[in-house]
Amino acid sequence: MNQTEPAISLAGIGKHYGHFEALKPTTLDIQPGEFFGFLGPNGAGKTTMIRIITGIIMASCGTVRISGHDISKDPDAAKRRLGYIPDRPYLYEKLTPLEYFGFVAGLYTLPGDDWKRRGEELLKRFFLWEWRNELIESFSHGMKQKTAMCAAFLHDPDIIVVDEPMVGLDPKSVKLVKDVFREMVAQGKTIFLTTHTLSVAQDLCSRIGIINRGSVIALGTMEALRTQSGSDQTDLESVFLKLTEEASEDAVGERPAIQA
Amino acid sequence: MTASSLLYPNWRALVRSVEKRSPKFLALVTSGGLLTAFIVYYALYRFLEYVGRAPMLGAVVGPMIGGLLVSKLLEMLYLALFIMIVFSSVIASFSAFYLDDEIRLLMASPVSAARIFWSRFVQMVVESSWMAAAFFLPVFLAFATAADAPTWAYLIYPLYIALYLLTPNLFGALLALSLATLFPIRQMRKVFQFLSVLVLASMVFFFRYMEPEKLLNPSYFGSVSNYILNLQNPMTKIGPSAWVTSATQTLFHGDPLLSLGKLLPLLGFLGAGFVILHLLARGHYRRSWQASLEAVENQVLGLEWLRRLLIRPFRLASPEFRVIAEKEITVFFRDPAVFSQIFMMAAILFVYGYNLTILPLKELPSLYSGEINDTMVYFNGPFIGFILAAIAMRFVYPSISMEGRAFWAVKSSPVPASRLLQVKFILYLVPMLLLGLMMCGISNSIFSVTSSYLFWISFLNVTLMSVVITGLAIGLGTIYARFDADNPLKISGSFGGFVFMISCAVYVLNILLLEAYPMFRLYFYRYYPITGHGSRILIVLSFVLLTMCSIVWTIAPLIQARDTIERYEPD
Repeated sequence: MNQTEPAISLAGIGKHYGHFEALKPTTLDIQPGEFFGFLGPNGAGKTTMIRIITGIIMASCGTVRISGHDISKDPDAAKRRLGYIPDRPYLYEKLTPLEYFGFVAGLYTLPGDDWKRRGEELLKRFFLWEWRNELIESFSHGMKQKTAMCAAFLHDPDIIVVDEPMVGLDPKSVKLVKDVFREMVAQGKTIFLTTHTLSVAQDLCSRIGIINRGSVIALGTMEALRTQSGSDQTDLESVFLKLTEEASEDAVGERPAIQA
Repeated sequence: MTASSLLYPNWRALVRSVEKRSPKFLALVTSGGLLTAFIVYYALYRFLEYVGRAPMLGAVVGPMIGGLLVSKLLEMLYLALFIMIVFSSVIASFSAFYLDDEIRLLMASPVSAARIFWSRFVQMVVESSWMAAAFFLPVFLAFATAADAPTWAYLIYPLYIALYLLTPNLFGALLALSLATLFPIRQMRKVFQFLSVLVLASMVFFFRYMEPEKLLNPSYFGSVSNYILNLQNPMTKIGPSAWVTSATQTLFHGDPLLSLGKLLPLLGFLGAGFVILHLLARGHYRRSWQASLEAVENQVLGLEWLRRLLIRPFRLASPEFRVIAEKEITVFFRDPAVFSQIFMMAAILFVYGYNLTILPLKELPSLYSGEINDTMVYFNGPFIGFILAAIAMRFVYPSISMEGRAFWAVKSSPVPASRLLQVKFILYLVPMLLLGLMMCGISNSIFSVTSSYLFWISFLNVTLMSVVITGLAIGLGTIYARFDADNPLKISGSFGGFVFMISCAVYVLNILLLEAYPMFRLYFYRYYPITGHGSRILIVLSFVLLTMCSIVWTIAPLIQARDTIERYEPD
């Protein structure tokens, strides 16, 4: 990865469906090695943002660069650097986890059988080893979520984009996922995470962005957010609620979105 | 809350799916559908009118035997329709009553189980019968016209058809509800998917075995009286098809009161059926639905050896081609309905081959037999096209939809949409082309084709049709993808499937029209040497146009499909 380039660079990206503006033009840079948390109420535009970053949907305006590669012009190079974990782990149900990894390895043209060794390691780490030959259709939601995570890590991406990773996971798996994310960031990888579990964001993220009604209304470290909200509470929950309530009240006056 | 208000979400979804299409497109599809219906109606009417007169049997005996033949055909059609809908309604009942996700929400609401059941029943009837009703309506109306029915009979007759269609649905719902109280429903659905195709194929075999063309020829029977007795005997003495056939004929003859009288057993049968179904639903529906939640999905891993054998050659292909091909083959062979799919394909091919072998080609005067056999080769092309289209609709068209909600994995990967479509196109083209060429080779050998022009043109046609039909199936299957559908039958039975079949029919017509002049000049007028430039230019122009049209027919839907995937936003 080119260390001078931001890992994720969003320049004025926005998305509208007809007259409805799901995401207002937003500019944001995530640096390599950063653990970035993206929070917001339901329907604020988090998943839209994530899908634009991963190239699943196209932005109505603006540019997305992944390690310097424009995702609309050079999707191959950009997507190879990304690992995406969706909020709902829909997988090919008639495949076993190892077969699914083989499928993903082919999509990313991973050479040789290295992916198999890595897949087996990941299955062991995520407590799925004994189900390696079972069809995914027999898995619980949490097991599917962990399978999707393993598949996203298979090509050893520099940047992980995660949408609600803890939904459906048991406490042991939640701890495991947190540990894995911390290790990755320690290795210099970048993580872009959205979650409603504010304690997870507070625990893990070095910088947090808050989105409401399609606009990024706050951005910075935990300390910066606290200052911005004027809250005397130390927890992220109070800061989040204060900022989103204010933004909802200000929405009548159309406060401009923050440009980061 | 009434049962009808529970259908409001389905109604809104239907209205929205129509509203989101452009008016021009809707007009085009409606015109295409009406044109096809009219062609079916008119062609059948002319056929029935001819059979009804049976001129080959003379002016006196002809109309008498012809009338009996037509009523026999009507009864056979009613019976075939009944059996087809019984099984499709059992499968649709399993989904509508037990397996659809929204039932959990409805069961958690303070609505009685019986009301939920009846709202689902309406949905099931529409799902299982709309396509058969749309196809059979012009067919039945052709019978009315051939029988010279009075105008008012046309207004009443659709009601007869609707009542008749309710009967197999009632049977299907009763069967599904009874079976669900006894067996794990998730496995029953697969059993019935298999059984339905088995029965359908058996019906086709049965129909072919009866050789209905012999009904047109009394020489197959020992004596005329024997023949007439055979025709007069109804296939079933009592039962919905016998009742409705009798009522229909009386209606066509202009006697509404007598016709209604003959329909009374059907009405009584329906009334009794609804009462029994209501009692069964009230007593057992909720309990059987709960039992369906406890059943575990059957993990069939059969045919592993065949799957492994088929994916082996792809080891030499590029990684993305290899994994997409492996995934397609694996998912196909792990679907428990695979046996029925393979069986159905084999049945279609068998019936096609059998039909060719029983054609009375040997009975033709020898002077004309070569000419007629050769001409049959040319007209056999469209038949191969329709068989290929039917197979593509079942196997190729649902290919993108069957990616399901897991499609995000491909969309977020570096594989571009164009590459995915290219891989699927090549993957499905190979078996389609092999199948087409095989059918063409077999039929050419049966017809003992003598003209080398026709021999090569038949292979060219089949090659072009295989390419275009595969392109249309992949392209339209993407444009009308239904990622939420849980089985290929639902996908191919949708609006997009209808558009696909119409498009295939139009393309086959396109081929026939563009080849009409070369066929005329190079075959029918082959003994007159081509002298002027005009004929040569027209022949070359026909083939150039045919090539260009075929390229457009293949590429245009694939380009549209690529754009559709790029615009697609997963749930």
